[in-house]
Amino acid sequence: MNSPLIDSLGLRFGANGLPYEVPLHPQLVHLTLGLFIIAIFFDIAGAIFPIERPIFKFLGIPAIRSGLFDVGWYNLLGAAVVTFFTVAFGFFELMLANPPINQKSDWGLNASWTMLLHGLGGVLLLGIIVAMTVWRGLQRYYWLKNASRQVQWFYLLVGISIMGLLYLHGTLGGQLGSEFGVHITAAKLLQEGANPNLLPK
Amino acid sequence: MFALNLNSQNLPYPDPVHPIVVHFVIAMVFFSFICDVIGYFTRNTRLFEVGFWNMFVAVIAIFVAIIFGQFEAGLAQIYPAVQPTLNFHTLMGWSLGAIIAIITAWRFVIRDRHPLKLPPAYLGVATFLICLVFLQIYLGSKLFWVYGLHVEPVVEAMKQGVSP
Repeated sequence: MNSPLIDSLGLRFGANGLPYEVPLHPQLVHLTLGLFIIAIFFDIAGAIFPIERPIFKFLGIPAIRSGLFDVGWYNLLGAAVVTFFTVAFGFFELMLANPPINQKSDWGLNASWTMLLHGLGGVLLLGIIVAMTVWRGLQRYYWLKNASRQVQWFYLLVGISIMGLLYLHGTLGGQLGSEFGVHITAAKLLQEGANPNLLPK
Repeated sequence: MFALNLNSQNLPYPDPVHPIVVHFVIAMVFFSFICDVIGYFTRNTRLFEVGFWNMFVAVIAIFVAIIFGQFEAGLAQIYPAVQPTLNFHTLMGWSLGAIIAIITAWRFVIRDRHPLKLPPAYLGVATFLICLVFLQIYLGSKLFWVYGLHVEPVVEAMKQGVSP
C-alpha cells in the first residue's frame, strides 16, 4: 500500500517497504510456532509417559512426568504472551505490504486474498492460543490438580488439530514472502529494474 | 546422477524447510534461557526442568536445521553480493551446532548432579549463546528477506538472465 495515509506516518522506508532492514513478524513467528508446537508435544509425552518410560531409561535420561507437563504448560504460556506481539507486528507489516496484483499463489489465491486470510487467521489463532492457555491452566491448577495425567485427551486432540491450522496459516504467510516477494529487498529492486548485486554486503 | 525436479523457488518441495526447522532452535534456546533466568531469581526450580528440556529439543533440531540448510543453500541462486553473508551464516550454523551440543551436555550434567541448582556460570555462557543466536538469526533473515534466496520473483529473474 503506497498511499498518502502511509506517507503521513513520516517514517523512512527502505527498498523493502519497511522502516527497518528485515521484517520482524517472521522473527516472532519462530517463537509462537516453536513454543506452541513443543508445548503440545511435551503434553503428549507426559500423557503417554508409562509407555515411553523404558525409552528414557534406555537413553539414560532421567525424566519425571510432572517435569514434562511443566514444559507443556510454561511453553504454552510463553506462546500466548509472545503471540500478541507476533500479531501486532504482523498487522503493521501487512499494512505496509505492496505485492504484485497480477499473480496467483500455488493455492490459486491472489495477493489480496492471501493477505486478508493471513490477517484474519492471525487474529483467530491468537484467540485460539489464548483460549488453549486458559483451558490448560484450568486443567493444571483446578480440574486435574491431583491427577497423575495433567491433560485431557480431548485437549491433546484439539492441540494437534491446531497444529494443522498453524501449518495452513504459516504456508499462507510463507507464500507472501516466497511467492509474492512481500518485503523482500531483492525482489523489490528487480521489480524496479535495479540489480540486486548492488545490495550492501 | 539423478535429477531433482525443482519448482519456481528452485526447491524439490513446495517451501523451504530450513526456516521451519529453525523455529525449534530459536524458540527453544530463547525460552530455555528465559526460564533459567526467571527460575534462578525466583528460586522456582520447576523452571530449570523447563529450561533443560527446551535445550534438549534445540540440540536435536539444530542438526536437522543444518542438514536442510546445507541442502537448500546448495540449491540457492548465489550472486556475488550474497556470498559473504551465506559463508558467515554457514560457519556460524556449524559452530552453533557444536556450541549448543556442548552447552546442553553441560546442562545435562548439572541437572544430574544438582537438579535444584543452576550455577551462575551457566547463565553467563547461555547469555553468550543468546547473542550468537541473535547474530545467526540476523544473517539468515538477510539471506531470505534482503537477498531473496528461494524467493520466486528473484529465482525467475535470475533464470531469465537478469543475474548479475
